[in-house]
Order: sequence, then C-alpha cells, then structure tokens
Amino acid sequence: MIIGHDDTQLMLAEVGRFARERVATAAARPERPMGDDQLATLSSEAQALGVLPSLGDEGCALWEHPANAASMAFSIGALRHIGHANAGVAFAWHRTALAHRLATHLGITHHASGALDLALAPTGHYGLARTSLAHWLRRAPSDAAPAGADDARLMADWLDRQSCATTVIAPRAWNTLLWPAWHEGRFAWRLVDREQLDAPQCRAQHGLDELAAFTVRDVAPASVALPHDDATALHALAHALALDWLGLLAIAVGALERGQQMAVAFAAMRQQGGVLIARHPAVQRMLSDIDGARRQADLALASFGAAIDDIDLGAVASARATLHPMLCDAANQVVQVHGGIGYMSDAGPEKILRDLNVLKLQGGGVLAAHAFVAGWAEVFA
Amino acid sequence: MNAPKRDGHLDGHLPPEHPLSPHAKYRDLPPVGRLLSNYAVRDLWDTDFARLPWPLARQRRRARDFAERHMAPIADALDLAPHLAPGECHPDARALLREAGRQGWLSYFLPRPLGSMPWSTLAYPAIWQCSVIVEEFSRSCGGLMLLLSAHHLGAMPLLLAGNARQLLVDLPSVYRRCERGDPHLMAFAITEPGAGSDAEDGHGAATYRPGVVATPTAGGWLLNGRKCYISGGDLATSVTVFAALQGEGMESWTCFHVDAATPGFRGARTERKMGMRASGAAELEFVDVFVPHARVVGALRQGWAINRATLNASRIPVAAMGVGLARAATEAALDFARRYTLGGKPLVHYQEVQLQLATMVAETRAIRALVWQEARHAWRPRQLHASLAKFHATDVAQRVCEMAMDLVADHGVLHEQRVEKIFRDVRLTRIFEGTNQVNRLSLVEDWQGQLLDADHSMGV
Repeated sequence: MIIGHDDTQLMLAEVGRFARERVATAAARPERPMGDDQLATLSSEAQALGVLPSLGDEGCALWEHPANAASMAFSIGALRHIGHANAGVAFAWHRTALAHRLATHLGITHHASGALDLALAPTGHYGLARTSLAHWLRRAPSDAAPAGADDARLMADWLDRQSCATTVIAPRAWNTLLWPAWHEGRFAWRLVDREQLDAPQCRAQHGLDELAAFTVRDVAPASVALPHDDATALHALAHALALDWLGLLAIAVGALERGQQMAVAFAAMRQQGGVLIARHPAVQRMLSDIDGARRQADLALASFGAAIDDIDLGAVASARATLHPMLCDAANQVVQVHGGIGYMSDAGPEKILRDLNVLKLQGGGVLAAHAFVAGWAEVFA
Repeated sequence: MNAPKRDGHLDGHLPPEHPLSPHAKYRDLPPVGRLLSNYAVRDLWDTDFARLPWPLARQRRRARDFAERHMAPIADALDLAPHLAPGECHPDARALLREAGRQGWLSYFLPRPLGSMPWSTLAYPAIWQCSVIVEEFSRSCGGLMLLLSAHHLGAMPLLLAGNARQLLVDLPSVYRRCERGDPHLMAFAITEPGAGSDAEDGHGAATYRPGVVATPTAGGWLLNGRKCYISGGDLATSVTVFAALQGEGMESWTCFHVDAATPGFRGARTERKMGMRASGAAELEFVDVFVPHARVVGALRQGWAINRATLNASRIPVAAMGVGLARAATEAALDFARRYTLGGKPLVHYQEVQLQLATMVAETRAIRALVWQEARHAWRPRQLHASLAKFHATDVAQRVCEMAMDLVADHGVLHEQRVEKIFRDVRLTRIFEGTNQVNRLSLVEDWQGQLLDADHSMGV
C-alpha cells in the first residue's frame, strides 16, 4: 500500500492520539514501569491500529514501505509521537517492526505468535566494526575487487555470534531473534529461535525500564541454508542500519520534547529568589539549549523523510554521532532545570535522561559512529 | 570476549626496547640527564600517593582498603535493593555503618581522644583529609559514600559554631558511639519543599518565606514545618535543623541540634532516586518538636552564616566525589578496553579507544589537582574556591562518565559493566549542595567586592 503526504498527516494524527491516550496514560508513573501484560495489550492495540505489522496483512505499519517517502515520514513521525509518550514502548515497536520488514525483504519465513515475538539485533557484538563495516557496505555488489583482508577479518569477528555475546534490549517475551551473522565465510542474516540461543537476562539495565537486556550468543553454528545472496544481505544490512538509526533518533527527539514540556512547565511554576525561575538567565540558557537541540534534531529528521535508497547512510551516521550526544545534553538540562526534583524517579526527567542515554548507546553507539562516518566517506581509508 | 594476556606493545606505539623508545634510551643519558628525565613505570594512583604528605597518604591508603573490602562488595546489592520505608536500613548498610564507625570513618573531624583523627594529620586542613577519603569511598560506591559522608555534613555546624559543651562533650559523645560500633548518625537539614536553591543562595533567601519555624516556649523552642531531600535524615539519631524564628524571615535562621527521638519528629517519606540509592533522601516532619535552649548551635539568628560556612566546608569534598566517580568510570573503561577484544585484539590497541581513555585520565587527574589545590589551603574555606571546585569538578566528572559509557558502547547500558551506575551516582553531584548554576553565582557573589571596584585591575 502506497501512501501520500495527506494520508501521512491523517495517520500521524491518529497515532499521536493513540500515543497520548493509551501509551502515555499507561506510562504515567515513571517510577513504576509498565508490566509485560500491559505492554502486550498495548502492542496488540497498535497492531489493530496498523502501527505494528501483522503477519500476512499488508498495510502501512512502521517501516513497512521504506521505498516510499511518505511512508518513511510516517514511520519517523509515528516513532516520535510514541517516543514522546514512552521511549521503551517506542523502542520495542521500532525494533520489532524493523525485524518484520527485514525478514520480509530477505524472504525469511517466521511465525510470530505475538506482536512482540520478533526481536532484532542489527549490529555485531561491539560498535560498528571500526571503519570495516562502512568499507564493506560501500563496495558495490558488482565490485569485483575483493574486500581488504583487515576488513574481512574484523567483520568476521564483529559478527561472530558464538564467541562474543551481543547485548540485546527487547521485550521480555521475545521468542525469535533476527540478526546479521558470519556464515561459512560470508555475511548473512539469521532468524534464530530463543531456545537455540544462550540468552540470559541481565540485571536492570540503565534505561528503557519497560524492557529487559539480554546478552545473547549462538550455542551452535548455523546449519540451515540461507535464502538470500550476498548482495541482498548487504543491501538489507545497509537498510537496517539506516532505519534503526533514524528510529532511535526519532524516539529520542520525541522523548526530549516531552522533557522540554516538563522543564518549561516547571520553570513557569517554580520560584527562586522571589521570581519564577523561567526569568533567571541561568534557567533561560538551559531551556534554550533544550529547544536548540530538539529543533536541530527535528530538522535532521525532516531531511531524512525520503525513500530509503535516496538516503545516504553516512549522513545518517553523521547525524547520529552529532545529535544523540546533543540530545543527551539537553535531557541533562531538563533534569537540571528541575533541581532535586528532577533526580527523583517519580518526577520523570531522570527517566527521560536514562532512556536517551540508552538510545545513544544502541545501534553500535556514537563513538563507533565517528569511525563509521570516516570509513563511509573513504577520506581516510 | 575476554582478551588473552599479551606482551610487547600496543598497536601504533613502539615497544620499550625499540631504539627509538625513550623508555630504553633515557637509561643511556649522562647522570644529570637521568636525574632530569623520568620514564618510570609507575601506577598513577601511586604517583599521586607519593605527592601527598605522608599522614594524608596513609589515610588515603586506609580509605581505599576499607572501601575495597567493605563497600565495593555490597555496592550492587544496595543499588538494586527494593526501596525502603523511612527508618529502615538494609542489613548490609547497617553492618557497614557499624564497621565504619569502629574504624573511625564516622569521627575523623576531631583528633583523639575526642574523635579518631590521627594527630599527624592535624598539620593539614581537615577538608583535605576528608576530600582524600571521599574520593576513595566514591570510587567504590557513590551511594555508600553518601551514607557515610552525610553524617559529617550533619556534624559540621557543631564543629563550626558549637559552644564548648557542644564541641567537647556532645560531638565527642556522638563520635564515641560511632567508634563503639553503635553509630549515632547525624544529618543536615536545610532544604524545604518550597525551595531548593533558596536555602543555598543569599539572593534567593532574601525573598523566601521560611517553611520551618521555631516558636519560643518554656525552656526552649518548638519547631514546626517540613524539610526535604535530607540525606540520611530518616536514619539519623540527631539532626542539625535550620529554622526561622517565629514572625521573622530568613535572616533569623537559627541552627537547632534536634534529637530524632523527640516527640513530633518524623521521617515522613524517603525518595526513590535515580542513583546513590544506598543512601536515603528523607522528608522530615516537625510537629511541635521541642528543642531546649542548650541545643541551639551558635547563637540565635546565626543560622544563615553557619549554613553558608558549612556549605563552604562541604563543597570541596563534593568536588572530591566527582573525582572518585570519574576515576571509577575511567577504571571501569580501562578494564573493559584491556579485556574486551574486537578483531582478535583488545580494544586498547585501537587509536580511537586510546584517545578516549587518554582524555578521561587527563580530565580525572585535572579535577583531582583542582580539588587538592583548593583543599590544601582550606583551613578557612573560601566560598569562591569551594563553589568553583564543586561545579567544575562535578561537571567534568559527568563528562568523563559519559565518555566511559560511550566507550563501552552497547554494553554500557548493562548494570554489570558498572559505568551506568556510576553515571546515575555522579548525576546527583551536579544538583545537591546547590545546583551547579547556583554555585557559579555563589562564586560571583563572593567576588562582587572586587568586581564592583572598577578602579582596580583584577587578577584571576
């Protein structure tokens, strides 16, 4: 199903209403993260609404038509709305929708039993394989020249799913994991049942309290034949990274906008020295920093509302490397505007900060994004 | 993935035995050259250890040993433990308090026999000793450090303004109970629900209507009102409480040493916090709490000055908390970079990782240098110096923690990697004891005499 700009606006309005009325309400107590049952119920509702994909039904769910610019704008806008209501829920829906999209694109069959059955780990066990991943992805499928030995070695290690555990954040109920892996000397995508994995749940992670963290490793080498060729697999990886990074950015901007609203409201109510703190230049500067970061990220997101093949992966990585730290700084300012209250779990700002930190560290993290950008540009290669 | 032990050199660097490596070649310099050049392979902690006067160095080593033995092993459990109701104390925290008391960590602001301070350290400011200890404790666990340190903050008004009886009888009796392993904890209560920074900033206080009020009664005063975010307030045996006199403003603030067993005193609630969870932040309620005249600290209407002097004394140790937490983050990142492999070798071999680690080490040592410089001269801590150290060290410390999380990347969100807890802990240091914005203004407030004197040039 192909949608146009007008459709996008109508659909986003509907998702915004759903996020406000259902998700935000369920997440109203930041110190008490929603339980698995509530997340499952909301996810079923999101599936019924068409935000989350359903098996066998074609629609306009998140990331379902990345070749269509309006659909991309819808996905980014929807994740921003949901992230505004709750970053954990938005992250879960983003990753599961992206997993569905990739599986369909790759021709991998799966039988999801629930809306959040399918989890995704789009990167290797640490960072983004320095510049090697970028080099690997830059090579045209028809490129006859073999990849450099160093890049090949690093990619093989980065995607070694047996020796190295990968951190995966997902709903506790996930049953199947889609991830890129090194398979018989080449790069491939694998769909693995949870019982085939060593995936212990970790102690409470830094943020996204609605979800859980797992350190996941393959217990045995893959033996199944893979339905896709190298070029398709690489193409899917480039798409997966671009969409994942855009999703993480959109969720972060939505969450920060909520923090900004909280900070502005608090500054307009709290007095210090006999006047509202909104009138203190110290607070005005912080509010300005928050606003500036949010606007810059919004501008960047708007520029990526294009068909996926028209988006430069290096540009997305660059935006991520620059904007996520800025958004985290802004979330820090949200806490700081609130003073002591901002540090308390029942107030909300500290959770937004923790959630933004986690979003910054997902998808390889921002330190690795700098190396990726350098490798992508081939300036220093 | 864990790295195997490797010898040799890091990628991008020459091995020490290489002809172009100064490590080897400095040995061939003439004697004077050898004296004036240094390529010693020495641990950085030991390097700074050697730079401290020996009594403080000894305290530093004792503090590190205590923290590693008694604090680090329980840090995770207390961070993840369920939230406790006011007055409840986790058994591990209770045991730590008893042991800390027995070893003198709750009584080191007075020399023996009044407290546990070694006489040898009397030649140096107590703030310096405290800063050295606080760094070590923070490195092991921010929350447990605060559990122990909030007690000293509560006792500070007695040290700064107490009369002879309070200084020579009341405080030593607090200390003796601690040393017997039956801790008498103290807490410091200034913040009120309607005002955070107004209790820490003169300009704000000038217009603030006090929330805790002392009313005269036969033999003393009756306190009414609420205080909030009081570290250790619900576990304290006594609390230094700042209250305005009935019908007067903040200029009448007076410090009262309140016995927590007095009827009408209650820990109303404890906060659920982002970090430093091993230490509770309590809301305290006062309903006609009787305080005899003898437990007024200093004189009536001296509370504001006592409060500010206390904050000047405590803000340098808060800066030291930043140092300890930045150090913990740097050490955790170092450990990860040496242990975790990518492409068959530990991360520490990669230049981008080396750059990150080098910056973190430099930032951590720079703020330690700042803290020690200010603490070394803190016989009478000046507001400007204390505030500057506090806001700068804690701002930098958080940046170091963020760098550590970025280096650990996807794994940085895991509690098991330690840096996420350190981040949650360090975040508080930029807020309490005056937000870092208030501390910047506090610097200027102290400086304004010079700033307004346009006829004289100023030095920085």
